[in-house]
Amino acid sequence: MKIPEEVLEIADGIKTMRIRGAGKIARAAATALKIAALKYDGAPDEKSFKKYMARIADLILSTRPTAVSLPNAVLFVMSKLLDSTGSVKDLVEVVVKTADKFIQESLEAVKKISEIGARRIRDDAVVLTHCHSTAAVSVIVTAYRMGKIRKVYSTETRPFYQGRITMRHLLEAGVPAVQIPDSAVRYIMHEVDQVVVGADTITSNGAVINKIGTSQVALAAHEARVRVFVAAETYKFSPATMIGELVPIEFRPPTEIVPEEWIKKHPNIEVLNPSFDVTPPEYIDAIITEQGVIPPQAAILVLMDRFGWALSRIKQGEFTRLRFEETIED
Amino acid sequence: MGLEELRKHGYNVGLTATEYSLKLIDELASNVPKADDYKELRQLYENIVNKLFSERPTSAQASNMLRDIGLIILKGIKENIDVKKTKKDIVNALDSWKKKVIKECEEAALIASRRLIDGDVILTHSRSLCVLKALEYAKKEGKKLSVYVTESRPGMEGLVTAEKIAKLGFNVKLIVDSAVRFFMKDVDKVLLGAEAVAVNGATVSKVGSSLISLIASEARVRVFVIAPITKFNIETLFGELVKLPEGDWRRLMSVEVYASMPENYRARVPLFDVTPPSYIDGIATEKGFFAPQALPVIMKEVYGSWPPKLVSIEEILNALRGEQL
Repeated sequence: MKIPEEVLEIADGIKTMRIRGAGKIARAAATALKIAALKYDGAPDEKSFKKYMARIADLILSTRPTAVSLPNAVLFVMSKLLDSTGSVKDLVEVVVKTADKFIQESLEAVKKISEIGARRIRDDAVVLTHCHSTAAVSVIVTAYRMGKIRKVYSTETRPFYQGRITMRHLLEAGVPAVQIPDSAVRYIMHEVDQVVVGADTITSNGAVINKIGTSQVALAAHEARVRVFVAAETYKFSPATMIGELVPIEFRPPTEIVPEEWIKKHPNIEVLNPSFDVTPPEYIDAIITEQGVIPPQAAILVLMDRFGWALSRIKQGEFTRLRFEETIED
Repeated sequence: MGLEELRKHGYNVGLTATEYSLKLIDELASNVPKADDYKELRQLYENIVNKLFSERPTSAQASNMLRDIGLIILKGIKENIDVKKTKKDIVNALDSWKKKVIKECEEAALIASRRLIDGDVILTHSRSLCVLKALEYAKKEGKKLSVYVTESRPGMEGLVTAEKIAKLGFNVKLIVDSAVRFFMKDVDKVLLGAEAVAVNGATVSKVGSSLISLIASEARVRVFVIAPITKFNIETLFGELVKLPEGDWRRLMSVEVYASMPENYRARVPLFDVTPPSYIDGIATEKGFFAPQALPVIMKEVYGSWPPKLVSIEEILNALRGEQL
């Protein structure tokens, strides 16, 4: 049967980055699967339904191959479906329930992270954060409300100045925040008690992929014996890395750094704009997830818990080329 | 060239330490002949010292130059030398300082350039005349280098540096300050200029230099500082700390952009930072290339004794103020 219009629209939204942010992408993916199941009007047998759902899953996965929350959401729902048997009506119910569960958990994740994370903040703490992360800001704001925060340093975060968004959120919550240029991180570190950052992706060995500059913030903290905490929902953990895949790092347009005119005037200068970097686990003291605090090296625990069942399937092919449709045959 | 657009980002290329010294030298050279007597000369001197302390307290070179000039004035007063003669002595001293500042920067750069070998990948930060000179020498030697240049916020002097290095004919890659660790694995050597070097070898440079040196040290990449001996801060020998000036949001954005920031938006913008000697592999001076920790040895060599018999600018100022004119 044809793919429902609403599903195509969500897929397009993720692809064109109209839907952005790891949490929103994940929830959109779960919603798309749910809508697809509810709109199913094909042959009333289990295999046809599963094949149809697999086709939808593949479509959604293909929209943003590098977004880690996307396969997390899709696998969360599809694993439940593929392990279930019953009438189409029962299976639709399974998809709807599982998708709703994922969405609900994802919405509650930040709140849980902020509560758990805030407990880790020392009294009268000076905290430094890099870029803008909803989870990290929530931890800081919650700790502030508990009376624990003296001051927050927020890096500008070139080229896109996400630090300014962080400043806005912190100041709106009344948190005393001060912006610093990214180059001043080591200069300021001796005044800092704890670093709290978010994550884009967490690999199976506990490395954290986050906004460019995070790894040097962590290094400067490590040098000054300042603790580094990463606030991250469990859907940020990358199942693909379990089979050794690398997390691709996107190079964004040079115009984010210097104006078009400048680039044209300087054809011999290459402007390189990687958007993420990798912080090794040894510079991270703990990852704060909605399930609890874990040392980064235990990241595999979160992944096995959620994706252990899928490992054999993932291993059959490269993750990004995984086809749910093909897994239905056997 | 999109300057308007760049100003939004706080683009504002400041003077290098050497350029700042030259500026003060020129200023003094044009004002000294106008002074009629020692009183005016003393006032002129006091003004320029205050200017240095408020504008650029970190600049060891300018401060060392002013020490020399102050001593000439003091000697003139104490020994009743005709003010015309003293003025002439000052102008001559300024003239030789001007030549010295440039020559020693070039000589130190030449020594540093010998450390660069064909095929090296260099990373540099901010804008330094001596670093540019070293790259120029390397080019003359026919060495092929590729150079990473950081944007170097605040100020974004890296844009000018990138342009200059590209003109030399090297392959240049411009990156944001946050991307240094990302690229450090590709780098062979880090080349930095200096604002001042303390007696223990700690180097004051554009903010971000110490972070870059830490990252280099982590990746076992060599860090070289090019600093003529006039940049050594003598006062640190007597325990003085180098005061590091800071700016505010004006260094990061235009007034228009600031208007769009939330209420209570505040920024702390350090302009310099201190790189500990342990992260510096070598300092290239006109007297040779040595470990930062060996600085006292060089000072003894240069000033003829250890500790060098030198007075601080404050002492000179106090002595001058104490003279009845």
